[in-house]
Amino acid sequence: MLDNKVIGDVLDQALSTGGDFAEIFLEDTRNNSITMIGGIVERTISGREYGLGLRIFNGLNSVYAYTNDTSRENLLSVAKKAAMAIKGTKMDLVLNFQKQEITNAHPIVKIPKDISQKEKVAIMKRAHEVANNYSEEISQVVVNYLDNEQKVLIANSDGKIVEDTRIRTRLPIQAIASKGTEKQSGFHGPGALKGFELYDEINIEDYAKDAAQIATTMINAEACPSGKMPVIIDNAFGGVIFHEACGHGLEATSVAKKTSVFSDKIGEQVASELVTAVDDGTMPNEWGSLNIDDEGNPTKRNVLIENGVLKGYMIDSLNGKRMGMEATGSCRRQNYRFAPTSRMTNTYIDNGSSTPEEIIANTEYALYAKNMGGGSVNPATGEFNFAVNEGYIVKNGKIDRPVRSATLIGRGIDVLKKIDMVGNNLKQAPGMCGSVSGAVPTNVGQPMIRVSEITVGGRKGE
Amino acid sequence: MNLNEFKQKLFEAGEKQGFKDMELYYQRTDSLNVKVFKGEVDNYSVSDSSGLSFRGTLNDKMGYSYTEKIDDSSIEMLVNEAKENAQVIEDKDVVEIFAGSPSYSEFEGYSKELEQLTAEKIIQFAKELEQEAYKLDDRVVSVNMCQVAKSEGEKLIANSKGLEKAAKDNLAYCVVSVVVKEGESVKSDMQFLGTKELKDFDAKKVAKEAVDKATSALGASSIKSKTYPTIIKNTTAANLLATFSSTFTAEAVQKGMSLLKGRIGDEVATSQVTIVDDPLYQKGLMSTPFDAEGVATYTKNVVENGKLNTFLHNLKTARKDGVKSTGNASKASYKGAVGIAPTNMFIKPQSKGYDEMVQSIEEGVIITSLQGLHSGANTVSGDFSLAAAGYLIENGEIKRPVDQITIAGNFFEVLKDIEEIGNDLEFGLPSNGYIGSPSLKIKGIAVSG
Repeated sequence: MLDNKVIGDVLDQALSTGGDFAEIFLEDTRNNSITMIGGIVERTISGREYGLGLRIFNGLNSVYAYTNDTSRENLLSVAKKAAMAIKGTKMDLVLNFQKQEITNAHPIVKIPKDISQKEKVAIMKRAHEVANNYSEEISQVVVNYLDNEQKVLIANSDGKIVEDTRIRTRLPIQAIASKGTEKQSGFHGPGALKGFELYDEINIEDYAKDAAQIATTMINAEACPSGKMPVIIDNAFGGVIFHEACGHGLEATSVAKKTSVFSDKIGEQVASELVTAVDDGTMPNEWGSLNIDDEGNPTKRNVLIENGVLKGYMIDSLNGKRMGMEATGSCRRQNYRFAPTSRMTNTYIDNGSSTPEEIIANTEYALYAKNMGGGSVNPATGEFNFAVNEGYIVKNGKIDRPVRSATLIGRGIDVLKKIDMVGNNLKQAPGMCGSVSGAVPTNVGQPMIRVSEITVGGRKGE
Repeated sequence: MNLNEFKQKLFEAGEKQGFKDMELYYQRTDSLNVKVFKGEVDNYSVSDSSGLSFRGTLNDKMGYSYTEKIDDSSIEMLVNEAKENAQVIEDKDVVEIFAGSPSYSEFEGYSKELEQLTAEKIIQFAKELEQEAYKLDDRVVSVNMCQVAKSEGEKLIANSKGLEKAAKDNLAYCVVSVVVKEGESVKSDMQFLGTKELKDFDAKKVAKEAVDKATSALGASSIKSKTYPTIIKNTTAANLLATFSSTFTAEAVQKGMSLLKGRIGDEVATSQVTIVDDPLYQKGLMSTPFDAEGVATYTKNVVENGKLNTFLHNLKTARKDGVKSTGNASKASYKGAVGIAPTNMFIKPQSKGYDEMVQSIEEGVIITSLQGLHSGANTVSGDFSLAAAGYLIENGEIKRPVDQITIAGNFFEVLKDIEEIGNDLEFGLPSNGYIGSPSLKIKGIAVSG
């Protein structure tokens, strides 16, 4: 993607004022998106993102610069400008690039750019039809189709040079049910680090039907009662609770500066003994997976919490220096416009021993959060919030009735300790995670879990 | 490559492929961003980036494509992809490339003054800001973010119908976030300042606001669940309005995604409420003389004295409703298709002081922060259930900080339950629009603790 000689000269220029490490991230990405509203294709837009990010370290300080113009002349000028922000003396640099060949652990069968927009629209129509015909109460269906192919080249002053291609596809489906002036929506968005073969492997109709079912169930549901209560959180996207409540607090970005509630807690019991949590970027073809992270390090399976004991963090090289710890293949960025930092990949709570049936049967009263929406957290305080997209009340060991508009709030570290049952039906689900280095694809996952007490906000009083 | 030359080649290639009307939309941004940690610049970031999009009509359907690599190698891709994209469009609404408005405001939103803000000054200010935050209170244990930045941009629309409009804008901002601790209680809060005026860069003032917000929340606890008279603090009210601002766009209305459908002229809020969309607002961060389709912008009341006055339109939705575009066509960037968004939109301030509002409440709450707006608010139904924090009011006085609560309600009901509007207009972080509000006193909101 870029001549080795140019790379060498740019890195050399970047270190000309005394920096101790320089890195190039070059990206050439093809994006494609199609929007269908009410079964009609309204918008399609595709294009090419292209640019280069340059990072220079001097101790714990860093400089970041990016540009779309990758001519040798411009790159040298950008490198010079960036280097001016680093003060020190020049070190002699001899770069010997040994191109690292990586094994692709995530084979792609059908490259999306080889598939016509018409074929993509056909998949969307199938999803639309099923959701739209599900019930008379469905008043609108929005289907989006997304694919992208990101080619990256990462080279640094340690002599590393490596290239990779990441291909992802996704189909977010939103169904809206109406009744009088009220509207409720249901959502599913299957996606993977795969090509168009994704749609041969999954039955898109099932997702569409389920989105419609959530919307119609919720439009006919009563408001959720509020207050502190036990909460059962279902598998798959339910894992967003760990992602937000604890995952962000385990990223070196906040741990290194000691602004996380999990800083300096390795070896401590931070969760119920039933909890083992993992961040694994190597899972074949999963939405959050990568061969190499965005500093060119191979991704890994990182155990974060084992039987409730804090075992590790997700670490990038710069924060790793600050912490005196090794990078864990967790450095990510949305694109070349963002300096990378530690982020999650596929983060999940591992299987326990209870069956989902046992968990429900053993519960006298609880909110059962079957489908979770998004959420957020403040890593400094650990305070989180989530929306429950599909909720039910469990009474005397049985699912009693649907309830809507519930929100869960609490502190991550409290919730982890209050997990008192963990199911055996681990499942992953894709999402987009926004943070300092932009929005990156991540999986969340978990089996069904039960938390003995969470504050539930709803529109109906206690 | 020279942009004019590129345009000519692009339009020629487009014409060969059968495009009738064509447009090039170009954007360039230059920015400098400094982060300071413990007295040192720990991140310094510079960028100069640009990109452009092509769109054109082919058999009356609009095809879009974009690129960030502006050279000959992209021309074929731009035209081919736009063509394939146009061919799958099924929407029958008429789309057009705009020939231009009769006249445009001269106000671009560019501040000459900001050119004086050099890299040295930015670094110095960032250091001061961090120092002030630590100095203000012993309970500040960490300044977990201290960032100062400026950016400057230009955009250009040129089309085959002869329209050619360009504008420049710029902005400087800072964000400081602090973590405070007292006993076991840890709180964190931040202050954002976005401005075009150098005098607003007052380190002491900005730091103090972040520190005051964080420290005043120390020792917070939950409260009993019930419906309380509520003051929603200005920036928090602005965030709530921003979340639901899409319900005012004709796009949401025409797609059946807004409950305001068919309600022009109806009372949708108490009579004190006037919501303005002002693309020519002097202090606005989204000011622009023309929108993403090249239509001249102007100031309008979306809600006037409680009555719904107009939706926000672009050319397509306006034609469909038989009205004129309100100049609210928007593009998130050259990478996006034309949609609709507010520019600088705010609830008009009234005369009530914030303290006066507090004094008027016997038992109630003040909401100073809302979390989960992206997930716990349903823009279609107006329902929200959100994590919140603030203060408890007893006998007209702030009694103590409150956290670990949620508030739930419906945005359209809130608009009708507004009892008083403050004089303290403030804006939230700019995103899809720069949205502001004064503090609002609401009859009652359901709080769960």
